[in-house]
Amino acid sequence: MSTTTQSKTGSKKLALGMPTPEEITAGGIPGISARPKLPPDLMAKLNNEELEEVEDIELPTEPMTINMGPSHPATHGTVRIILTIDGETVRDSDVQVGYLHRCFEKEAEAATYTQVFPYTDRLNYVSPLLNNVGFALAVEKLLGIVDRLPERASYIRVIVGEISRITDHLTCLGASAMEVGGFTPFLWMIKVREWLWELLEELTGARLTHSYVRIGGVAQDLPEHFIEKLRAVLEKSVEVLGECESLLVKNRIFRDRMDGVGTISAEDAIAWGWTGPCLRSTGVPYDVRKDHPYLVYDRFEFDVPVGSVGDNYDRVAVRLEEIRQSMRILDQACKQIPAGPVLLDEPRICMPPKNAVYNTIESMIGHFKLIVDGIKVPPGEVYSYTEGGNGELGFYIVSDGSGRPYRCHVRAPSFIHTQALSKLILGAGIADIIPTFGLINMIGGECDR
Amino acid sequence: MAETPPSPMKSSIAAALRETQSPSPPPVAPPAAASAAPAGSAPSSAPPPSDIVTIKLDGRDVQAKKGANLLEVCLSNGVDVSYFCYHPGLSSPAVCRQCLVEVVGQPKLVPACFTPIADKMEVNTATPRVLGIRRQMLEFTLVNHPVDCPICDKAGECTLQKQYQDWDHVGSRSSIPKVHKPKMQDLGPHIVLDAERCILCTRCIRVCDEVAGEKQLTMAWRGDREQLTVAPGHQLDNPYSLNTVDVCPVGALTSKDFRFTMRAWELFSTSSVCPGCATGCNVEVHHAQGEIWRLVPRENLQVNKYWMCDEGRFTYKNVRHKRLTSARIGGGRGQPAQITSIDKAVAFAAERLDRLASGGGTIGLVFSAQTTNEALFALSQVAQKLSTRGATIRTYVTGTAARPERADKILRSADTNPNAAGAKLFAGTGAGDASALLSDLKAGKLKGLWMAGGDLPLTEQALFDAAPLVDGLELFICQAVHDSPLLRRAQVQLPAAAWAEVDGSFTNNKNLVQRLRKAVTPQGDARSHLELIGQIAKKANLAQSEKWQVSARQAFLQMVASVSSSLPAGADPAQSVAAGFASADWGREYLPVQLRFANSRG
Repeated sequence: MSTTTQSKTGSKKLALGMPTPEEITAGGIPGISARPKLPPDLMAKLNNEELEEVEDIELPTEPMTINMGPSHPATHGTVRIILTIDGETVRDSDVQVGYLHRCFEKEAEAATYTQVFPYTDRLNYVSPLLNNVGFALAVEKLLGIVDRLPERASYIRVIVGEISRITDHLTCLGASAMEVGGFTPFLWMIKVREWLWELLEELTGARLTHSYVRIGGVAQDLPEHFIEKLRAVLEKSVEVLGECESLLVKNRIFRDRMDGVGTISAEDAIAWGWTGPCLRSTGVPYDVRKDHPYLVYDRFEFDVPVGSVGDNYDRVAVRLEEIRQSMRILDQACKQIPAGPVLLDEPRICMPPKNAVYNTIESMIGHFKLIVDGIKVPPGEVYSYTEGGNGELGFYIVSDGSGRPYRCHVRAPSFIHTQALSKLILGAGIADIIPTFGLINMIGGECDR
Repeated sequence: MAETPPSPMKSSIAAALRETQSPSPPPVAPPAAASAAPAGSAPSSAPPPSDIVTIKLDGRDVQAKKGANLLEVCLSNGVDVSYFCYHPGLSSPAVCRQCLVEVVGQPKLVPACFTPIADKMEVNTATPRVLGIRRQMLEFTLVNHPVDCPICDKAGECTLQKQYQDWDHVGSRSSIPKVHKPKMQDLGPHIVLDAERCILCTRCIRVCDEVAGEKQLTMAWRGDREQLTVAPGHQLDNPYSLNTVDVCPVGALTSKDFRFTMRAWELFSTSSVCPGCATGCNVEVHHAQGEIWRLVPRENLQVNKYWMCDEGRFTYKNVRHKRLTSARIGGGRGQPAQITSIDKAVAFAAERLDRLASGGGTIGLVFSAQTTNEALFALSQVAQKLSTRGATIRTYVTGTAARPERADKILRSADTNPNAAGAKLFAGTGAGDASALLSDLKAGKLKGLWMAGGDLPLTEQALFDAAPLVDGLELFICQAVHDSPLLRRAQVQLPAAAWAEVDGSFTNNKNLVQRLRKAVTPQGDARSHLELIGQIAKKANLAQSEKWQVSARQAFLQMVASVSSSLPAGADPAQSVAAGFASADWGREYLPVQLRFANSRG
């Protein structure tokens, strides 16, 4: 964000109680609380006992087993939940995933390393570039070229990654608001997402399935005036974001549906293997970008927002704040990005320039062999992990020295989060399943792979 | 990235291919191309210890036979050295200079393919000096190479591409325009030369000289104008000419039959045996989209070494053309046959066969030398059952006609049947030949005839003339791959699968039982001879669930057990046909190998 943006957000104070970037930096707390403190009068209103629901008249019920999904209008993800319900209360549930299984890991074994990128686009398909980057870094680690990546390429990867993170969170929050009845935030947030996707479309040629990252860099340099356009979009976006926040944070209906629902303790979340915004909602400030910096993340100042209770509202608040933090990173990246090549100059890894391919036999052969045989990766195995939209996105790759992975496994955060869904909705009402499931942000493409 | 380590995938595929593709045991004694056999790899045939010397190869002690080719020692010890002109089946002229390595104590680098090893030799193949020279040689080779990969038939299996990517992978420093040479020079009936692509390795010249024994190719001109050529008024025309295409490391020599039909990396390879003659050259069937696109020789030092004849390469065309694709019944005696299902035709045949056998009729069984051992074995089993039911059985061995003019001392044999040895074995000692069959038909000695294979050693005219002889038969069952005048007179006409469509084995003229593998699915309703025989036997209550009716592999196992029961295991195939079965092996089942994983051929 430029200084003008900062002053704008600072002066407008759109997000009630939500700390602005300046406040966060001023505080200098590594893990700040994302849960906003509401004005006392509002808190009193919210806690007004008069408004509490009248105790239900207990009707005799017996447990009933019903299906939710796999094709359910209210869940944004193809999942089947077999519920045992007692009236409106969930007594037991069996969460079944796999409806979007596409054999990603098996397909990867038949594809050259470069051909895997389009498959990674379809993992978490609301932040495809983060998957691109994660996979590329894994292969690069195995190739031993992580330290030699062109700086500009690393910055571009950070920029497109953070844009993707914002779109990921916007989708999650917008859809969750819509699922509990707030249609307006959804439309506004998707509008912002669309601005960002238009930027990415200009850069990569595709709105969703970008396949933009390459082993050793990225496919092409930023288009002209990309940085300026990005700044302008961020400026507009932060306003809309504040408007959306104001619709949600003080919204009685929204708070009632989110507060204290789907609560999980930090210990449990760690035990389940949670990472990302979901883990941070429980108060654990673990962020791969901060704790194990990759690319150029150690050059940026940003904070890791955490929640306190680990309920649905904390997951909303953490994501809202992370969008702001991503904007901070983008702002710094836009300032720092150096000029230079965007692809490593290493003919056995990166494609030669097209002009050379058409005019010299050497580059023609190089191009041909990279396409037909793939990039020869030395034998070995690697686990490389990055901060994806939903948490720690890990790729475990075994190479036998050929141009195709011998084995490729994805540590998909969605899959791990969905494991705990059954526990989260135990004892909740049927209607609580939808926001809880929504804020875990299970993305079928990533979960089922 | 530093130097790419040798790709284990490539070598493991090569090893797997070698393992799965040679159904016969390894050669007992090194054949003519003995220098090709990796030194020290076969302990049984290893020379006395005094001949073994120890050399230091990249700092590692390696033992090999004294005087062995240094390049072969390197390759057999997993040390990757690039080369173009060397070929295991040919002499080494050391013209390409690509295999230069450092021998400690020698001032200049030496070509590994032309250096015999001596005791205590110290060889370095990966020093900066060697790698630099290797890269510079590639740079030289590429200076005049055209930018043809997208339209070149060799692309994807090209040795030059592979060596460049493995060892060079940097751009050229030359900006001089490339020398142009003829792009499409017709060298002979099967081959076109693109002189620009040629890297002057002379492998093709040596194939003609040393394998075919015809000195037809030579190099003309000098320097960067040097090019491959034939003498004026002459052609590259010998029975082994297409081997030059296989050994060509680039796409300079291309087969007229294959060029511009299929990209190499889209092909699948299934190992099999050429059905063209009794030699049984080991081949790779290259197929894709359910069609065969070419046959190439597969290394087997006992049979065909690295080569095969041109005629054999075109045997795949018979799999495509003039096929019988559906069953027909009720033909013969001037009546047109009706197309029907296989099951109905089989039931029709079985019912009449049963009636004829129970009535004590004489039935002729034709063992075709074009079919697999398993089908022949099945027919011999059926013959026994038919005779116990009361029928008199006469057996005949037929096949395609011998062509003495094609025989030579290299690979081609006069017998154009791939399995004459097997057919004779299973037809029994009293079997007649095709002329006996015709005279028996003329004399009316047969009431029924069952041909498992429709080939007769007759010209088309003779076959047409002889066809009416079968009209006197009460029952004529004919299983055939191709349509023929004889077949059209059969009461039961059954479509049989061709050699590339079945699993099975052929016995060659050296009594080696060699494995055929199914490359493509049978055309139309066609089924293997073995399957058709098994179904007729089942319907006619001759055999219900014998092992040979289950699968080709079960038939093979039962056949080997029954043929070689009295023989010691590993009997020498040179002694008898049956002894060949004693050492027969079905081999491992595997999926077709995708050539995109093969990296390079030639």
